[in-house]
Amino acid sequence: MAVGALALVAGFISLPILSLVLWTISEDSWRAMGSPEARDALLLSVRTTAIAMLIVISIGTPAAYVLARAEFPGKRLVDALVDIPAVLPPSAAGIALLLTFGRFGLLGKYFDAFGVTISFTTAAVVIAEVFVAAHFYVRQAAVGFAGVQRDVEEAAMVDGAGRLSTFTRVTVPLAFPALVAGAVMAWARALGEFGATIIFAGSFQGVTQTIPLAIFAEFQTNIDSAVALSVLALGFAFVVILAVKYLTRRATEYEG
Amino acid sequence: MPFHRAFRCALAVVACIVAVAGLAGCGRGSGGGGADSDGSSEEGRGQQGGTLTVFAASSLTDAFGELGRTFEKRNPGVEVRQSFESSSTLLTQIQQGAPADVFASAAEEEMDTAVEDGLVQGSPEVFVRNREVIMVPKDNPAGIREFRDVARSGVKLVLAEEGVPAADYAVEILGKSNEEYGSGFKQNVLSNVVSREADVRSSVNRVVVGDADATFGYASDYTPDIRDRVEVIRIPPDLNIIATYPIAALKDAGDPGLAQEWVELVTSEEGQRVLEKWNFEPAA
Repeated sequence: MAVGALALVAGFISLPILSLVLWTISEDSWRAMGSPEARDALLLSVRTTAIAMLIVISIGTPAAYVLARAEFPGKRLVDALVDIPAVLPPSAAGIALLLTFGRFGLLGKYFDAFGVTISFTTAAVVIAEVFVAAHFYVRQAAVGFAGVQRDVEEAAMVDGAGRLSTFTRVTVPLAFPALVAGAVMAWARALGEFGATIIFAGSFQGVTQTIPLAIFAEFQTNIDSAVALSVLALGFAFVVILAVKYLTRRATEYEG
Repeated sequence: MPFHRAFRCALAVVACIVAVAGLAGCGRGSGGGGADSDGSSEEGRGQQGGTLTVFAASSLTDAFGELGRTFEKRNPGVEVRQSFESSSTLLTQIQQGAPADVFASAAEEEMDTAVEDGLVQGSPEVFVRNREVIMVPKDNPAGIREFRDVARSGVKLVLAEEGVPAADYAVEILGKSNEEYGSGFKQNVLSNVVSREADVRSSVNRVVVGDADATFGYASDYTPDIRDRVEVIRIPPDLNIIATYPIAALKDAGDPGLAQEWVELVTSEEGQRVLEKWNFEPAA
């Protein structure tokens, strides 16, 4: 019975994927995959998610450490705050970002006074991605850091390591699998980001039109190329998942 | 422990079955108003019940919303469901088998494709016309005073997606304007585009929230609820293009009678009055 359930799950996931791939064979939409729209969307997605991940990891790592180790007043509030973007519908996040960074937004109007506009720029895409994805990294990283024994860190300090080098040489390597797992989750979320981006950043080829937005735009005029883009995203996701599995296995083997 | 595990497995199976059954049920439910209820619908009509699903261009949102309430009052028990999106999106959805009874397009092109694909019952009827205008935020940050100002560099212009009638008309208007304002005009305007929106209403909303300096919309999109935030700039009549809206009942209509009745309401004197109230122009 349990095996049947697993088969059901596997079938439920693989059938739609199979339908996608089958369409590209039968409808000859391979050419659409090399179209300028597809190439621009792919490049933009790679670029924006890379920047978003850089921001998330560099700020999220110390933040997660503090969340895991320190006790401070209001910690539970901050803790809950970190979770909100994961629960909030992305379209609601998009509206919220628009009302903050848009031309008449809470912060946006001050930016605008200095001649800086964020809406309709690639920066807006990155902001949207960071907003929705940060949670996944910070949460996982905090769990990873909490799992590192305090005595190990203290032993390193007794041996003369400073706080920073203890963190980078001992704590981070020990929490590494959790950090990678969190980063992948966050990256996947950023890559799939649609609602917040289309509402806050708009959609323009090469500037704000990431893969999910390009799929939506193409769906209105040319289903072949919408399918081609979806297959492209599928291949992309597949490569990343395999790479991560390989990396985490290496990391755990290294530890053990 | 074994009991515990078995229980969890059973729970998982039940959850899967419920999920799949739920999905199947949803599919059947929405199809009920459309393709597969041909047989049962004959009895359902006239007395009470039944659903009419109207796919209409997003510019028709307000006028058809009002007509929907009129229709429901006249046909007690009938529920009018409407989906407002760009005509191109609606056409794709109908081609992919979406359960629609009536299609009202903002351009002849989408309707012609639907006719060619054999999706339309009878022949489409042009029921209304619409005029393109430029819309700018009330405080007009780019200082657009007349139509030709949209070509000035630095104007943040938003258009609907390529293939959406409102945007295609806009491009046509720009082509005509080249003769009047010089050959670079169209190119200058198009290089001001900062975003392509899913439909004309979304692009108008970019101006309503003030993030865009200008957009092309229809006169009918200048609805009362946005009048205190948006200003209309007229496009010179000799350059403008009048959008024509065809409507037709669809071959797969769940209830052909109801679909036909909707078309009749829209083309009737009362329907035309409602459309004119929302700034549309009569078809003839």
